[in-house]
Amino acid sequence: MGGKAILLLVIAFSTMYTVVNFNSNNSATIAIENVASYYSNTSVHNIATSAINMAANELFNNKNWTGYSNDTIYLQGGYAVLQVNKISSDMIQLTARGYSEYFYNGEETTKDAMVQVLLKASKFSKFAYYSQVEGNIWWTNKDTVWGPLHTQDYLRAYRHPVFHGKVSMKKDVKYYTSKSKDKPIFNGGYETGVDLPRPTTVLSDLYTEANSGGHIFDGESNVYLTFKNDSISYKFSTYGTETTVLASDFAPNGVIYAKDANLRLKGTVKGAYTLVSEKRVYLDDDIVYETDPRIDPTSDDILGIIANNEIYITDNTPNRNDISIHGSLYSINDGFGAENYATRPPSGTIDLLGGIIQYQREAVGTFSYYGISSGFSKKYRYDDRFMKIAPPAYPGTGIFEILSWYE
Amino acid sequence: MGFAAILDILGSVAIGGSILLILMTLNDSMVENHFLNSNEAIVQSNLISVVELLESDLRKIGYCEDWQNLPDPTLAILEAKQNKISFLTDVAVSASDPTGDGTVDTLTYWVGSPYDNEVTSTPNPRDRILYRQVNNETALSANLGLTQFDLKFFDALGDEITSMPTSPPLGIITLQIDITVENTSAYGDLAEGDVYGKDKSAFWRQIRLVAPSLGNR
Repeated sequence: MGGKAILLLVIAFSTMYTVVNFNSNNSATIAIENVASYYSNTSVHNIATSAINMAANELFNNKNWTGYSNDTIYLQGGYAVLQVNKISSDMIQLTARGYSEYFYNGEETTKDAMVQVLLKASKFSKFAYYSQVEGNIWWTNKDTVWGPLHTQDYLRAYRHPVFHGKVSMKKDVKYYTSKSKDKPIFNGGYETGVDLPRPTTVLSDLYTEANSGGHIFDGESNVYLTFKNDSISYKFSTYGTETTVLASDFAPNGVIYAKDANLRLKGTVKGAYTLVSEKRVYLDDDIVYETDPRIDPTSDDILGIIANNEIYITDNTPNRNDISIHGSLYSINDGFGAENYATRPPSGTIDLLGGIIQYQREAVGTFSYYGISSGFSKKYRYDDRFMKIAPPAYPGTGIFEILSWYE
Repeated sequence: MGFAAILDILGSVAIGGSILLILMTLNDSMVENHFLNSNEAIVQSNLISVVELLESDLRKIGYCEDWQNLPDPTLAILEAKQNKISFLTDVAVSASDPTGDGTVDTLTYWVGSPYDNEVTSTPNPRDRILYRQVNNETALSANLGLTQFDLKFFDALGDEITSMPTSPPLGIITLQIDITVENTSAYGDLAEGDVYGKDKSAFWRQIRLVAPSLGNR
């Protein structure tokens, strides 16, 4: 009797054990499947990201690329379907949908993930600072740069200069003493090995633009332009007769081109303009926006100033006591500086709102222990709107930049 | 009843009792193993839920469907602490439209303390609540047995940012996330001390999480 009871008890416990063991095994399987599911999600995400990176690379190499002949790319045991969508003449959307199959609960399941990237043809005006040659100039702990910066040279750092925008360079960072003592603070990230040469067709492209809806000055050696809000006055010598016209009629597309002439500029700009000189640009006095975007961010006043040679702050009486400059300055073969910087009297501060794109740095003054000895001190501020908009026909970098990245 | 019969009964009782004892011990062991295995699956499941949510959201730091509304992604991280991060992004409004509505949202993640009222009554003394808040909406929270949520932030040169600026841009390019999840309740008697000694905890570390939009422009 007792033996039978024990036997029954053993059978009952064995049955229970079998059931519990089955459930325990199921729990272990579920745990493994959870991990497998996470791996599968990660994998399919990587497939989509890889496809986008491949497509972006193709676009960086060839801006007219329209996609692979077969839009399905097989990667990492799955595949991605790639779409290249040209939204406008300078904007492209890349979409990659990754797919991967895996087994869950004994059944084959498909996982998918999407990565979507918006790219836009980049303009030089987005830079707060660009240089081809840095020379032996060091960015120091007294330098704070807002907005993107690029140099085709080394970036020389002395005692932690601060860069709030993204910094890219063709070469590398050079430290004055060592990384620990001089490391720059790159708040917007940095990238080396980025080759972004100045385009060789800037003037011819701008001439074409000016010729089709802008204005070209031809046959003069100097053009004096004064912006007077809605109007523009121009003359061809210091004491010449001034002609005043409605700016929107004078250059409907906003591009004003001085062929074989220096441009001498001043005034208050209303609207969007790009002013081009095949020689030098002289800033004879303040040249500012009618609506300052620092006060009213909705301002649509925007200015590009482009010179084949230097962009100089004229050594004259109006510039003896500060100068305000609003706009993106582009000196193709030289730089932005102050005329007679070493011999002119101390002249206050350059209040620049915009950016400087130049072949190499030019001086604006000299300094001693006691302060400015000649020329100007600097107060440069990036115009944040250049991250979104550009002056008319402003030179492009020839490559795309990423505007948004969804994954 | 003779002496032999008494001996038989005593022997049966001894052998039966031993077998019964073995079976009871086996039963206890089975229940414990089953509990621990089930909880391991739950811990892993909770961990993966937390990780997938975080990865999905943190990869979108600085993203907005309408790029003109967030043109400078370097300003996207508003606040970064060891156990809290607040950033600008474009939160999906529905599952059918995962890319967002083009409006910039502020998304904040943080963890509470193990001494918060919400978790002091739970069996696990170390668990914390993970909060997720979109803009100024009521924060959503879940007790998934999170016992560690540590964030580390790295600059463009790959160095850890030890002194965080007070306002954007904070200079963050990559993040490291450490997460540990434990059972919210353990197998055993709290009076016995560390009843979590037998339980599995799951640890996950994302060494360098990159939000692609952060370094865009």
